[in-house]
Amino acid sequence: MSQIEIADVAIEYRKPNSDETFTAIRGVSLAVEKGSFVTVVGSSGCGKSTLLLAIAGLIPRSRGLIHIDGRDVEGPGRDRAMVFQDAALLPWRSVHGNIRFGLELQRWRRDDIDERARRFTELVGLDKFSDYHPHQLSGGMRQRVNIARALAVDPDVLLMDEPFAALDAQTREVMGNELLRIWERDKKTALFVTHAIDEAIFLGDRIVVMAKDPGRIKAIVDIELPRPRTTAMLDSAAFIAYRHRLRDYIAADMRSLALVGDAA
Amino acid sequence: MAIATDLEPRRAPSLGDALDRYYGSLVSTAAVVAFLLVWQVAAARGWVNARYTSSPGQVLAAALDIARHDDFLHHAWVSFSAFSLGFAAAFGFGLPLGLALGTSRRLRLFIDPPMMALYTAPRLTLLPILIIWLGIGVASKVAVVFLGAVFPIIVNTMAGVREADPHLLQVARAFGARRLDSMIKVLVPGALPAILLGVRLAIGRGVLSVVVGEMFVSEAGIGHQIMNYGEAMQVGHLMVYAFAISLFGYALTILVRLIEDRVRSWRPQP
Amino acid sequence: MTRLFERHQALISGCISFAVILLAWQLAVALGFVQIFFTSTPIRIAVAFWSGLRSGEIAANVGVSLYELACGLALAGVAGIGLGVLAGWSRTIEHVLEPFIWFTYACPIIAFYPLFIAWLGLGAPTIIAIAFLSALTPLYANTLSGIKNADQDLLRAARSFGARRRDLFLKVALPGSVPIIVAGLRLAVGRALTGVIAGELFGAAAGLGYSIAFYGQKLKTTEMMVSVVLVVILGVVLTQLLSLCEAATDSWRTGPGQ
Repeated sequence: MSQIEIADVAIEYRKPNSDETFTAIRGVSLAVEKGSFVTVVGSSGCGKSTLLLAIAGLIPRSRGLIHIDGRDVEGPGRDRAMVFQDAALLPWRSVHGNIRFGLELQRWRRDDIDERARRFTELVGLDKFSDYHPHQLSGGMRQRVNIARALAVDPDVLLMDEPFAALDAQTREVMGNELLRIWERDKKTALFVTHAIDEAIFLGDRIVVMAKDPGRIKAIVDIELPRPRTTAMLDSAAFIAYRHRLRDYIAADMRSLALVGDAA
Repeated sequence: MAIATDLEPRRAPSLGDALDRYYGSLVSTAAVVAFLLVWQVAAARGWVNARYTSSPGQVLAAALDIARHDDFLHHAWVSFSAFSLGFAAAFGFGLPLGLALGTSRRLRLFIDPPMMALYTAPRLTLLPILIIWLGIGVASKVAVVFLGAVFPIIVNTMAGVREADPHLLQVARAFGARRLDSMIKVLVPGALPAILLGVRLAIGRGVLSVVVGEMFVSEAGIGHQIMNYGEAMQVGHLMVYAFAISLFGYALTILVRLIEDRVRSWRPQP
Repeated sequence: MTRLFERHQALISGCISFAVILLAWQLAVALGFVQIFFTSTPIRIAVAFWSGLRSGEIAANVGVSLYELACGLALAGVAGIGLGVLAGWSRTIEHVLEPFIWFTYACPIIAFYPLFIAWLGLGAPTIIAIAFLSALTPLYANTLSGIKNADQDLLRAARSFGARRRDLFLKVALPGSVPIIVAGLRLAVGRALTGVIAGELFGAAAGLGYSIAFYGQKLKTTEMMVSVVLVVILGVVLTQLLSLCEAATDSWRTGPGQ
């Protein structure tokens, strides 16, 4: 049995003060094996973040099942940890304090909290900045705190919603490598949503391509590049082939964008 | 991609939803009613000295008395006209000054310190000086209202202008707009929410100023009546007038809020 | 480095402004544009100030007013922030308190001054009560607003870690409100000071407001101006102090894209 099983999930929104329903995603089914790194791509509005939030248990589903290790997802839980696009760090806490935050909320033992916070601060390479506050950190560093905070609670599944979208291209590349380095250690099951095709290919074992109107899974592509990934692979023929394939999938959506005019 | 926060997951509308909307008003009203009841009972039973606290019953009786014997309209008019004059002057003077201060850094550097000093000074402190200058009468009153209302307008207009989107100004300049033009067409509309906030604050302070001013230097007006009744320990009558002035201020504030909401609706969400 | 210069720049320009104003003032009176009776002159005020200092009169008045201010503020802080926290936790409490808080805000407290005198007598308790009521609303309103407007992103992140309502309240909403509460404190100080002076103006036996009324009635402009200037300085000093506090907590301010 796969670790994450998603069956025929639909999520609909009711607009406030109206009876209109907006379907974010429909008929989504997916199985994710334990220890795999799955990336999700698609153009804006295809529902990839919605799906992630539903798996995190932060929004309810209108239809369908989401099971993790056989358990139904009904709300946030210790088995999943989320890394948001905006770091959402508590500005009044230091790096150390922020990494402790999740552990405190989940009521870990006090000794464990300190020890784990320190360990993961080191893991993401911020041990020298442990007492800094968020406003003193760069965007990339803040995201590292974000990731450390999520990993510290030892989740079974790591959910990441475009964590590098707000970073500049160079930092993004560095962070991608960093993320893989950190991930290689425990090889947690990971779901990573992104806009950037190259990033998706570079990071993932499998890529889920979503389309919009309505939000659904269009294709699933297995990435057969060896691990650990290196930047050199970006120029390999295999990589370029994957890139073309994914571009084609997504281009269809982009074309419809240009013709119709996005209402979102 | 962030989830639009104005959408919520679908739920069948329920009776609970309808009640929810009125829940707040319900509880507030219930609290006020409960308070009035306790007050009335406490006064009637002598738990509190009704001479000092009055009671809902007495206040109502006072209201009737005022309606019949006091020239309420006259007093209201006196206060209202003093307020309007002072407020209009404050707006006419404060808005341009706020705009000027907002745009010119140099002006700001020099005018800000003494202005802030005046702002924090309680108007009442300045009242005796005003009396010495302008004598006891309408002029002092209007001056107090002016002083009360002008600073929030200046300060908030200034803040609104400083927060203006520099890109919009650049665009205007790129199309060759001259300073006055871009000020009117870009700055003021952009600063409108802040200006309205300043107006709303100014109304509060202005109303307070008119009452306080009248308590000191007037032959008529709501503040004057308040002072009279206060000294005569006719608490019921005092409360009626105090309540009246609160309502007046509240009504004006609601008006401005309505305008604020209108203005906010055509601004792009940040 | 440039920030240091800028800060000094503001200070310098402020001093220049004041110097210019004082000079113009002194000249206006000396040259007869303004009757000395109306405003006195900076020099005479300074002289009166000095003698007031030496006689201890100023210290006494400032002490009284400050004491009343501090008591009123302390009470308002406890009550305002305390009630604000309660109202932030429970919507029912918020709805219950709303009409009363609004009334305290909209109604001129000073109108009830004679009542206060009757209840609490002439003197410090009455003044403290007025200061307390004046300062209450901004503290309550800002505390409540800070809690209600807690950063949605932070709340969501905390929720994703399984935070319960109490955690969200204590660990995210409350700490996040501190900057707004401090801003409210700045407003409260201004209002409390106004309340103290107003109360003293009407009929205390000591304090800066009393001093203003006393000399004002005797048309002793110079002595009156000493107290007026003191009040203004007091207000500025207190507000500046709080602005510094605000700036210190400013790095806490959450916002989009933080």
